Amino acid sequence: MPKINNLDEAAAAVLDAQQQKHRLELRGLGTKSGIGNQPVYDACLDVSAMQGIVDYQPEELVLTVRAGTTLSAVEAALDKANQMLAFEPADLSALLKSKSTGTIGGVLATNLSGPRRLTAGAARDFLLGFDAVSGRGERFKSGGRVMKNVTGYDLSKLICGSYGTLAVIDEVTIKTLPRPETSLSLLFESDDMASAVALIAGIFASPHEPGAAAILPQPVAAAAGIDLAADFVVVIRLEGIALSVDDRAGHLRGMGGTGGTVETVPQALSETLWRRIRDVDLLADHAGDIWKLSCPPASAPQIIAAIEPHFDMAFYADWAGGLLWLAGPSGADFGNALRAALTLHGGGHAQLMCDRGNSKQLIPALQPLPPAQASLSRRVKAAFDPLGVLNFGRMHDGI
Amino acid sequence: MLMPDPDQDVIDRRDAICAALKKIVPAACVIDSQESMRAYDADGRSAYRQLPLAVVLPETVEQIAAVMKWCKAEGVKVVPRGAGTSLSGGALPLADAVLLGLGKFSRILEVDYDNRCVVAQPGVTNLAITHAVQGDGFYYAPDPSSQIACSVGGNVAENSGGVHCLKYGLTTNNLLGIEMVTMDGEILRLGGKHLDAGDYDLMGVMTGSEGLLGVVSEVTLRILQKPATQRALLVGFEDTGSAGTAVGDVIAAGIIPAGMEMMDGLAINAAEDFANAGYPRGAAALIIVELDGPEAEVDALIGRVETIMRSAGASSIKISQSEEERNLFWAGRKSAFPAVGRISPDYLCMDGTIPRRRLPDMMVLMATLSQKYGLRVANVFHAGDGNLHPLILFDANQPGELARAEDFGADILRGCVEMGGVLTGEHGVGVEKRDLMSIQFTEDDMKQQQRLKCAFDANHLLNPGKVFPHLHRCAELGRLHVHKGKMPFPDLPRF
Repeated sequence: MPKINNLDEAAAAVLDAQQQKHRLELRGLGTKSGIGNQPVYDACLDVSAMQGIVDYQPEELVLTVRAGTTLSAVEAALDKANQMLAFEPADLSALLKSKSTGTIGGVLATNLSGPRRLTAGAARDFLLGFDAVSGRGERFKSGGRVMKNVTGYDLSKLICGSYGTLAVIDEVTIKTLPRPETSLSLLFESDDMASAVALIAGIFASPHEPGAAAILPQPVAAAAGIDLAADFVVVIRLEGIALSVDDRAGHLRGMGGTGGTVETVPQALSETLWRRIRDVDLLADHAGDIWKLSCPPASAPQIIAAIEPHFDMAFYADWAGGLLWLAGPSGADFGNALRAALTLHGGGHAQLMCDRGNSKQLIPALQPLPPAQASLSRRVKAAFDPLGVLNFGRMHDGI
Repeated sequence: MLMPDPDQDVIDRRDAICAALKKIVPAACVIDSQESMRAYDADGRSAYRQLPLAVVLPETVEQIAAVMKWCKAEGVKVVPRGAGTSLSGGALPLADAVLLGLGKFSRILEVDYDNRCVVAQPGVTNLAITHAVQGDGFYYAPDPSSQIACSVGGNVAENSGGVHCLKYGLTTNNLLGIEMVTMDGEILRLGGKHLDAGDYDLMGVMTGSEGLLGVVSEVTLRILQKPATQRALLVGFEDTGSAGTAVGDVIAAGIIPAGMEMMDGLAINAAEDFANAGYPRGAAALIIVELDGPEAEVDALIGRVETIMRSAGASSIKISQSEEERNLFWAGRKSAFPAVGRISPDYLCMDGTIPRRRLPDMMVLMATLSQKYGLRVANVFHAGDGNLHPLILFDANQPGELARAEDFGADILRGCVEMGGVLTGEHGVGVEKRDLMSIQFTEDDMKQQQRLKCAFDANHLLNPGKVFPHLHRCAELGRLHVHKGKMPFPDLPRF
């Protein structure tokens, strides 16, 4: 596999591929190669050598790093300065049976965000700028190294979540944030999904600044080591300075409503719990496929009600209900039912994240686009990669 | 400022174009008399004025789509306009273009507390979103200083910020969904009430695209619960260098204030004369730090910030003890522009961003340039995120002063880029900074951006002459290097 060390070599490799009429698959550590559709390619291009932290200025909240740097190396550097990637990227290695957490470039290419996405934003909200080589084989840059910038089109947004279909990226500049001094979680009992979502809505209508909110059905809660008898457990995370976290926890404990138990989970246990929610290892033992649904938070109960009676499935919700992780039977039926339920209940996106039964041959991993958006997306792809050299078909047919 | 040569053929067809438009939208929605069109001849960048070919004020998204489709078929350019508050000339009309005003799209369509969002038409003002939900304790976070007048559709086009975007982000970070109309007249819905989709983030590139990619016809905005408390510190410094250091120290201590603003001596005195806000006259720099959140937290952090400011050498510190006092601290800052307007017949408001640590270097540069051009400059900064708003004072009635002020401004922006920053933090490129783009971007960078434009608008009909200094034909931009006389993949379909 040809290995590139910099963007000049990337440009040469892309031009070479053009000449040989080859399509390329971009590969970092390959930990997320199962996400998205199977691209059409003749050769792989190994981008994992483009490693290293270029510039890190904690007091500017800005980190410039090469895209092949491992996520763990990035997080270790931030940790030393008591900072973090606020979008809390997941470590899906247990779920995807991969060897490591992969590279920061892979995190950005899949726009992979964790529980704090609800209140702090997604990966795409933190990419400030990048250097790249397009599928045309030309170098270009976009954005900058400052937080506030509206100079030219915001191509950072487009590059995030583009699965390497537009360009090979090298240096990326990311906004960092201070790590909260302390955190804890509160567990609320709930009888059903609807009252769980309503409880969360009430908590978010209070000034007590919840930072993350998940809903765990009893079997999933039990798997996470939560010893509550209720059918559903609402998990609320609070972060900040200790004084504030304790104060807010006190206020929120009174919001349990129906008189059910409210438990407090101290920091260390809370961190473990949220790591498991983030990394989807609460469903990792399920034999079926894993789907990720992004939906209006208040629609989650209807979507589950529409699906659950028809399938042998397990699920839980993050992002106050707006992110559903579901394990269900392989094949096309489960995904089709999820997409149909989404369409009926406010729209969104259903993505097959972990295919354990060749389901991708039967159903597209990413939700098909409406016609006008599909043709615009193809033109966008062509604007960067007119010959379809890069990760062709990874996202959609021809994209 | 040179705009592209108007198409005389289109201008000659003006009567026929107006007649055709009156068949697409109700006749009263087409404004074509010279006197009535004068109200639309400029945006907030009033130094540039131009009457449009005609003004169209559609009432439905179908009408927007029909106007766009017709204009595309007839080769007529379109300039979209929200409330016309752009400071960079983004909505400056063109002599051969239809000005498409979104003023009639002024309704809030839905307040959805369960999903914590508001769905609104693009002509609704920024502040009206907060007004619609504040009774229930919610607000819309981005707060550009023009929020009483600017429209949310314009906010999307410009990716507007405000004094609180250090903590709460810009428009792009608070936008959940849009409906948009392309130059082809296609209506697209991107995003929605959900957070992330697995598609190309077309909404993300639409945001801040300055009306060059499409017309926003509906927005879905995230609303937040209003913080329990807000308190502010008003801190004076005897030198700007220490003030700049203090700003960095706050962030380094792990504190992200809701807002962190800085003013220099000239701005302090002008604002104090205007607003009597109790600002420290004679100080070289003033910082306002606002903290918001739960009461216990804010009180604790106020103490920490006070300590940081003292160690950084603050010469005076006031801490707001009431809402009234906090508002008074802001009154001076918020009146900085009119206050400077009182001490000078005219001023140019610039908008660059630098890495925060370069603030002292920038102050030195501005002092040098001020001497070189013989013009005064007052400074207000969104210091937390390094966004500068130098106000260059001049008198348009003095021959040559406007040009001198513009050259001064261009030199400041050049300095921003040289220090690792960018040309514009929140006002947009528009017409104002168009010819400076090559300072920040190479020709290849800009060509790639324009290829994206071609994907949305292949004939450069939507808001041409803005943002990019050179218009390349899309066919030319799409051309690939040809190897040995042969195109690779000659049989591949081209989109």
